[in-house]
Amino acid sequence: MRYQLTPKTIFLTIGLLLALILPLLFGKNQYTTLLATNVLLYATLGTAWNIIGGMGGQFDLSAGAYLGIGSFVVGTLLIRFGFSPWITMFLGALIAVGLSLMVGLPLFRFKVREVWYALASAALVEVLRVLFIMWEEVGGATERFLPMYYDDFSKFTHMRFSSYVPYYYILLAMLIFAYLVNVRIRKTRLGYSLLALSEEEDAAAVLGVNVRLSKIKALMTYAFIVGLVGGVDVCIKGNLHASSFNAVQSTEVAILGIVGGIGITHGPLLAALFMVSIRELLRAQLGGGMEGLYMVIYAVVLILIAIFRPDGIAGILESIYNRIKPKISEENNGRLSDA
Amino acid sequence: MENLAQNIINGLMMGGIYALIVLGLSIIFGVMNVVNFAHGDFVMLSMYGTFLVATWLNWDAIATPLITFPVMFLVGVITYYILIQPTLREKYVMQIAVTVGLQYLFRALTQIAFKASPRALNFSIIQGNIEIGGLTILSSRLISFAVSLLVIFAVYIFLSKSWAGKAIRAASDDLDVASLVGVNYHRTYAITFGLGTGLTAVAGGLLMTFQQVGPLMGMSFGLLSWVVLAMAGLGSTSGVLISGLIVGVAESLAIAYWDPRARLLVVYMLFILVLWIKPRGLFGRK
Repeated sequence: MRYQLTPKTIFLTIGLLLALILPLLFGKNQYTTLLATNVLLYATLGTAWNIIGGMGGQFDLSAGAYLGIGSFVVGTLLIRFGFSPWITMFLGALIAVGLSLMVGLPLFRFKVREVWYALASAALVEVLRVLFIMWEEVGGATERFLPMYYDDFSKFTHMRFSSYVPYYYILLAMLIFAYLVNVRIRKTRLGYSLLALSEEEDAAAVLGVNVRLSKIKALMTYAFIVGLVGGVDVCIKGNLHASSFNAVQSTEVAILGIVGGIGITHGPLLAALFMVSIRELLRAQLGGGMEGLYMVIYAVVLILIAIFRPDGIAGILESIYNRIKPKISEENNGRLSDA
Repeated sequence: MENLAQNIINGLMMGGIYALIVLGLSIIFGVMNVVNFAHGDFVMLSMYGTFLVATWLNWDAIATPLITFPVMFLVGVITYYILIQPTLREKYVMQIAVTVGLQYLFRALTQIAFKASPRALNFSIIQGNIEIGGLTILSSRLISFAVSLLVIFAVYIFLSKSWAGKAIRAASDDLDVASLVGVNYHRTYAITFGLGTGLTAVAGGLLMTFQQVGPLMGMSFGLLSWVVLAMAGLGSTSGVLISGLIVGVAESLAIAYWDPRARLLVVYMLFILVLWIKPRGLFGRK
């Protein structure tokens, strides 16, 4: 098959190039870099969510659970034994996958779906939070701090950088990984199965889609990516606490999936870019006086999109593009498509 | 043994209020099939409403539903027309999105209005306790429990006897047929949603007699109500009552015999158990 240069790939390539040189422009400003890192973190989580929530149509609210598991595996092994997060983050991700199997197998086996699946996955985050607060040896009520390192080599091997720029690139790599996984799944049998079952589960099952297997595969992939991000997240934060099992954050991840445009691979990415930057900017500008105002704007955007544009930010951008496209193709006399 | 009885009684008292909260959610989900993730935040809003009315008019918390019930009913009706109606024919995901947005909105607005510090009222007139055979019953809890039962019974009578109630039940059975025989379903749905949120006003008034309120309380109430509803199944008022009591007792026993922090753990374990064993709930009609 000949490779086609679609507008989407052009925009994505430009975006990627911008993302690559961004720290060179803002690298000196730690706050801006942290903001960009945050955007990437949420974009990665949202892109991972797209596999189970967007393509698979399962409204998952358990991102916090896998994020927390990743954080605790990496954090605890670093604090106790000085193990390198570069290795343990994969261990954490695998344990997150194990957890997703433990949760997903029975839930999907007993056909827990739609709102009940959403609630069960939300409950999982809360259960883990309480369990880790009660488990004094690892979690407990007080936070634990990750060790500091003072020479460049240990900083690198223990992923405890003194600048946010390396974290930025790590998360950028993860975002690209999550995106490619999305694109790949979309083109395989699993992707078609997920799309089919997200429309009408029983009908898909009748047509020969292995509903349970597809859902569990999607959930495992999602848990793996989120677990990886959790391992990096704990190194960025520098402390370890049961509040990593964050129900609000889990909801936010799902919101990004919806606001971006359900099932659209680049949707969560756009949503994270838009929503997280708005949130952080408002928080920085109004923080002191008007606590909570950013949440009002967040809420209004979410409600407006859900009511008026269920295809999300990606859909809005696409229709804007379609409106200006005729002008572009007129100027080129359609030569772009011939080339 | 006495200790056990005491804890069970405490749990039952709390469970009555839970049942009242869940009844509202049950009506909304059961009749309209609308997934309302903001129900817990309606409870939170009602509690703040109770706080405002009680401090402005110098009323006792237990009397405030006289004002907050109509207000919350209206809030529910407005919410229905602006937010819920456009998503009625959409997938459940969009309803979750809209109600989660509402949740954020309520949380943010109360945070702006009241800051993050929790609010509580002066002692209610129903404060005090009753001793029966070595058991202590807080009279505020007892009266709250009694009021909850009364209101649940009143709603049951309303649904089964009044014309509006019959319309609501007809709409829940078969919307198209109900429309054919002259049920205006938009109005019925608006009333249903209003009733569901109005009931949280009563619960809010009762809760404020012995509890404080903070902007983030909605989330735990929300999840808890869905847990009770999962257990109760749809279309059964007595099921809601019994499930509310079960969850209340389970919570109270967890606090007493395991660990105070394990309260939610036990509730969610019950939830998962119910989803596995009886996905339609213990008392479900459909």
